[in-house]
Amino acid sequence: MTAVAEHVHDHEHHDHARERRMAWAKTAILIGLGLYFVYNIVSGNLSNYINLRFGWLSYVAAGLFFLMGGFSAYTLIRSRGQHTHAHDHDNHLHPAPSWGMIAIVALPLVLGTLVPSQPLGVEAVSAIDLNAAASQVSNGDATMFTISPENRNVLDWLRVFNQTDDYSTLNNLPVDVIGFVYSEPDFGADQFMTARFTISCCVADANAIGLPVVWANAAALPQGEWVHVRGHMQAGEFRGETTPIVHAETVEVIESPQNPYLYP
Amino acid sequence: MTAETPSVFRRFALAALILLLVAVALMAVLTSNRDPGTLLNIFTTRFLGIFLEAAPFLLLGALASGLIDSFVRPDDIARLMPRNPAIATVVGAFMGFIFPVCECGVVPVVRRLYTKGLPISVGVTFLLAAPVINPVVLVSTYVAYGFGPVLIGRFVITIVVAIIIGLIFAVAARPRDVLRASTLAMIPPPVVAGGSPEASASDIIPIYTRAPRKPLGVGLRDAMGTAADDFFDMGRYLIIGSMLAAAMQTFIPQEAMATLGSGPVTSVLVMQALAFLLSVCSTVDAFLSLAFVNTFTPGSIMAFLTFGPMVDIKSMLMFAGVFKPRVVAYLIILPFLLTLLIGVWINLNVPL
Repeated sequence: MTAVAEHVHDHEHHDHARERRMAWAKTAILIGLGLYFVYNIVSGNLSNYINLRFGWLSYVAAGLFFLMGGFSAYTLIRSRGQHTHAHDHDNHLHPAPSWGMIAIVALPLVLGTLVPSQPLGVEAVSAIDLNAAASQVSNGDATMFTISPENRNVLDWLRVFNQTDDYSTLNNLPVDVIGFVYSEPDFGADQFMTARFTISCCVADANAIGLPVVWANAAALPQGEWVHVRGHMQAGEFRGETTPIVHAETVEVIESPQNPYLYP
Repeated sequence: MTAETPSVFRRFALAALILLLVAVALMAVLTSNRDPGTLLNIFTTRFLGIFLEAAPFLLLGALASGLIDSFVRPDDIARLMPRNPAIATVVGAFMGFIFPVCECGVVPVVRRLYTKGLPISVGVTFLLAAPVINPVVLVSTYVAYGFGPVLIGRFVITIVVAIIIGLIFAVAARPRDVLRASTLAMIPPPVVAGGSPEASASDIIPIYTRAPRKPLGVGLRDAMGTAADDFFDMGRYLIIGSMLAAAMQTFIPQEAMATLGSGPVTSVLVMQALAFLLSVCSTVDAFLSLAFVNTFTPGSIMAFLTFGPMVDIKSMLMFAGVFKPRVVAYLIILPFLLTLLIGVWINLNVPL
C-alpha cells in the first residue's frame, strides 16, 4: 500500500498544476450541485422529480454539497503555492481522478441546466389499463369512503372502484377532478380519460392512472392538456368493460397544477 | 477508494457501460415514432428524479465512510468481535450498523481486519452483509419502498445469504487457502494462547498494533476530503447507472420491457446481470430499481437489491486484491446462486 501511495504522490508532484485544476473543477461541481438543489427547492421544480414527502432530503443534500464544496475550496486556497496533499489515505485509496470522472459527475448539472424542467406528461404514458390501475392502487384502505365524493381525486376514485362490488351504488355521486387528457384510437368519439401520474418515491416509479369520462366534445380536447372535469358518476361500458364512468357536465381547460403528481 | 482495483478494468467497464447507454439511446431514437426532443425531456426528468432522490444518500454514505476512515481503526472492529467463530459470523452480519460502509468501502476494511487476525468466515459475512445491513441503506430503501415486504425482504435475505456463505467458509476454509499471499504476508506472527505446542490456528490471539488516533481537526479535514473523493468515485456509477435505467424506461417500449421482465427465471437473471454491470452503490440502488418495479417481477427486484450489493464489477475486482482467484469465484457464484434461487422462489410462490 505504501508503494502505491508514494507512486500517487510522485505522480501528483509531477502534475501539480493539473491536479489543482481538477480539484478546482470538483469544487465547482460540488458547489454547483448545491446551488442546483437550492434552485429546485426555491423554484418548486422539485415536485417535477420527487415525492415532496421526502423534500427535506434535498435540504440535507444542498447543505452537504455546500459543506464539502466550501471545505474543498478552503483547503485549495490555503494550500496555494504549496506542494501538499489535501489529505492522505490509509484504507481509502482512490483511483487517480480523471477528467472523464469529473465530466460524468457534472452531467446532472449540465442536463438540469440545459433541458427545461418539465413534469412527466402524456408523452410518457405508454398505456393506461383500467385493471392494471386497480392493482396498482389497491393498497388504499376503506378511509377513501370518508372523503366526500367531490373532494376525491383520480387516485381516490380508482381506490373506491376497487373496493366497490356493485358499481351502481356509485351512480349519481358528484365528481370534481383534474387531470390531463388521455385518449387512444379505440376510445369512443365521446370518451377520454382524465389521467394523472402517481409517484411513490420519484418519477422513476411513476405510473399513469386514469378515470374514464364521457363528454360530447371529447374528440376536440387536445391530448395531454390539463382539464378540470365536473359531472357525476354513472356505471357504463368503457373499452368493452363495465366500469363507473364520469359523465361530464363541464370540462374546462386549465393551467397545469403546481404539483403535477399524486402520491399513493 | 480502491487501491487494488486495476484501473484498466474499471475504465473498460465504464467505457462499455457508456457505449451500451449510447447504443440504447440511438436505437430508440431511430426506431421510435416519437419526437426526439420530447424523448430527451422524459429521459432527463426520469434521470434527474433518480439523481435528486439518491444524491443525499450518496453524500451521507460518503461522509460516513470518510469519518470511519479517519476515526475508526480496524483494531477497534477486531476487538469488538466475539471469539467464538459461529457467534462472530452472525455478529459479522450486523457490524454494518455500527460501521456503515457500502460495497466499495467494505473490502479495504475487511482486508485490514484479516491482517488483525479476524476469522475468515466473519470477514466473509461482514463483506457480504455490510453493504446492505447499515442505517443509510435502511433509510434509503425505506424512502424508495416504504415499510413493507421489499424492505424486510432485502434485509432478511441479505443476512441469511451472508451468514450461510460465512458458515460455509467457517467449515471449509483456512486463511492460507483463502487469502492471497500478499494479504497473508501482512498477518502478524501468531502468539499462541497459553504457549501450548498443540495450539491450532484458532487459538491465535492477534496482536493489536494500535495505530495512533488522529486529532479531531486533522481527522475531520481528512474525512471531508475522503468524502468528496468518494462522492465523485461512487457518483459516476450512480449517474451512469441511473442514466441507463432511465434510458431503458424511456426508449425501450413498455411491452418489450414487460416481456423481458415477466419470466420468473429470466427476469431474475436480467436484474442480476444489471446489478452486476451497473455496480451502483448500495446506498442508492433502491432508487434505481424503482425504474423497473412496474415491468419486472418482484423476485427479480429483490435479487437486484440483494445480489448487487454483494457482488458487482467494482467489488469483484476488489475481491481479487484480497482473496485467491478460486475464492473470488466462490464469492461471486454462491451469492449469485442463492439470490437467484430466492428470487425465483419469490416469483413462483408469493402472489402479486
